[in-house]
Amino acid sequence: MTPLDALPPTSGGRSRDVPASRALSLTYRVVLRQMTSRGRIIALTLLALIAPVAGWALGSADADLDDAVNLIAGIGLGVVIPIVALVFGGAAIGDLRDDKTLVYLWLRPMDRWPIVVGAALAALTLAASITVIPVVLAAALTGAGSGIVGGTAIAGMVGVVSYIAVFTLMGVWLKRFIVWGLAYILIWEGFIAQAGPGVARVALRKYTRSILVDRTGVDLDLADFSLAAGIIVPLLVALAALALAAWRLGSQDID
Amino acid sequence: MTSLPPPAAPLPPPVAAPDVVVAQHGMIAVNDVSKFFGSVVAVSEVSFAINEGVTALLGPNGAGKSTLFRMLCGLTPASRGNVEVLGKDPRQDRSVRGRISLVPQQDALFDHLTAAEFVSFAAQTHAVPDPKAAAASALEMVQLTDVGVKPVGEFSKGMRQRVKVAAALVNDPEVLILDEPLTGLDPLQRRNMIALFHRLGDEGRCVLVSSHVLDEVARLGSRVLVIAQGRLIASGDYHDLRELMDDRAHRIRIGASKPRRLAAALVDRGLVSGVSVDDTGLFADTLDADAFGRTLAGLVVELGIHLTEVDPLDDDLESVFRYLVEGR
Repeated sequence: MTPLDALPPTSGGRSRDVPASRALSLTYRVVLRQMTSRGRIIALTLLALIAPVAGWALGSADADLDDAVNLIAGIGLGVVIPIVALVFGGAAIGDLRDDKTLVYLWLRPMDRWPIVVGAALAALTLAASITVIPVVLAAALTGAGSGIVGGTAIAGMVGVVSYIAVFTLMGVWLKRFIVWGLAYILIWEGFIAQAGPGVARVALRKYTRSILVDRTGVDLDLADFSLAAGIIVPLLVALAALALAAWRLGSQDID
Repeated sequence: MTSLPPPAAPLPPPVAAPDVVVAQHGMIAVNDVSKFFGSVVAVSEVSFAINEGVTALLGPNGAGKSTLFRMLCGLTPASRGNVEVLGKDPRQDRSVRGRISLVPQQDALFDHLTAAEFVSFAAQTHAVPDPKAAAASALEMVQLTDVGVKPVGEFSKGMRQRVKVAAALVNDPEVLILDEPLTGLDPLQRRNMIALFHRLGDEGRCVLVSSHVLDEVARLGSRVLVIAQGRLIASGDYHDLRELMDDRAHRIRIGASKPRRLAAALVDRGLVSGVSVDDTGLFADTLDADAFGRTLAGLVVELGIHLTEVDPLDDDLESVFRYLVEGR
């Protein structure tokens, strides 16, 4: 051990305000590494691979465009993307809060919004990599034409961005974000939102399905929004969710 | 400042008179602060002010130490009263956060990072110029320079504690708040860490250290805040606190060649309120330890008694703490 009197003088230098771009990139990097656990990546990748396997099976059976669109809307946009987004989006801030490391970002001279946006971008990086490519691949493997592939790509990206933002908000606000997120995906979007067009307006899945409908011409229940609405509304929801998450992060208790 | 509440069971009243709230001023100023979690009172009407140097916050587990620290850092707002650190509200004023450092009690780190990466990350989140050099300097202060590229997730508890302390030092804070920082350290590391805290205090920093271990607090310094059940029950120098407890006898163990004769003489001269004798010495209870000490020397010479030990049994922090918290 070094004798105390041999230690260097304290010379860390006074802290300064951290620019937003710097805060965002620091948060992005640390959250990305924190969330990249092998077990989580493998499990979610296996879940996402269900889509291309099903697409290949459908393509092998010479299914028509209606069946292909229903497959992508049901498995890809209805299960794979929201579930994976829930795991990563909820964990983006939720894991930091649960394992008590959030204090290392919160107790710093920096704004709250770059922390939220950086964490959400880290979650988006992982979720988009794991879901969008397999779901688009599934669309291609159905052999139902280029319209479904393009529509799936647009709907997939819009879906993953909006779900990540909403679930990031849940991760900031709720301790049991997984339970609430599953309730939203399975009960609200999967069941209640089927009740009618009014309820459907507050279900992200309907907007992503509308994009798919617009690009393929196939009719899906309660998915009759325009392409512009299908893209713009979920992105506005994402912005609002992130803004709310930043406000909430700044006002809540931190352990 | 030394103040002491009158003893009462189960708890004495707080240091400041409840009907006269005097605004506190200092690097850390806590004014009549309470914190409620629903119906649970975690901190109740606490007031104190501290400046540079080391101050120990003593209290049993669950006394409210960590909640108080969280309020000092702005991690949770006070339900009542106000907290000022360096003249600012740490909950509202972002700029002051860069001048405070916290070593949290929980054993939480970014486990995938190495020690150098973790401390450098802390430096970057304070926008410290040359974060790598600052991290290296901070790690040197806690003697963690040769830990290689092993992630902190694989570190021992003691090494993780030292990483947390290094991360807290990397921004050269003016106020350093350490919640149970000695947990998991071996005796040598504890000694070095305590010496480091004193050095930081001597350099003009306000260093507030919590512990529920009495021996640690006694070594951390004589300035003590004692908290129990969410209330500040005493503050000041713990030796002075003990002296101020003048309505309670000090117990002193005296080893003597003629214990019965010495006991009789002590009683005759009214120096003790109680005495018990055994074969090798006696236990004397006295209300005035200073007068007892001054008289004892002359008395043993006069009586031709040989002393083998004079040991004040309750001049340590444990007895102070037991008295203040438990009223015994």
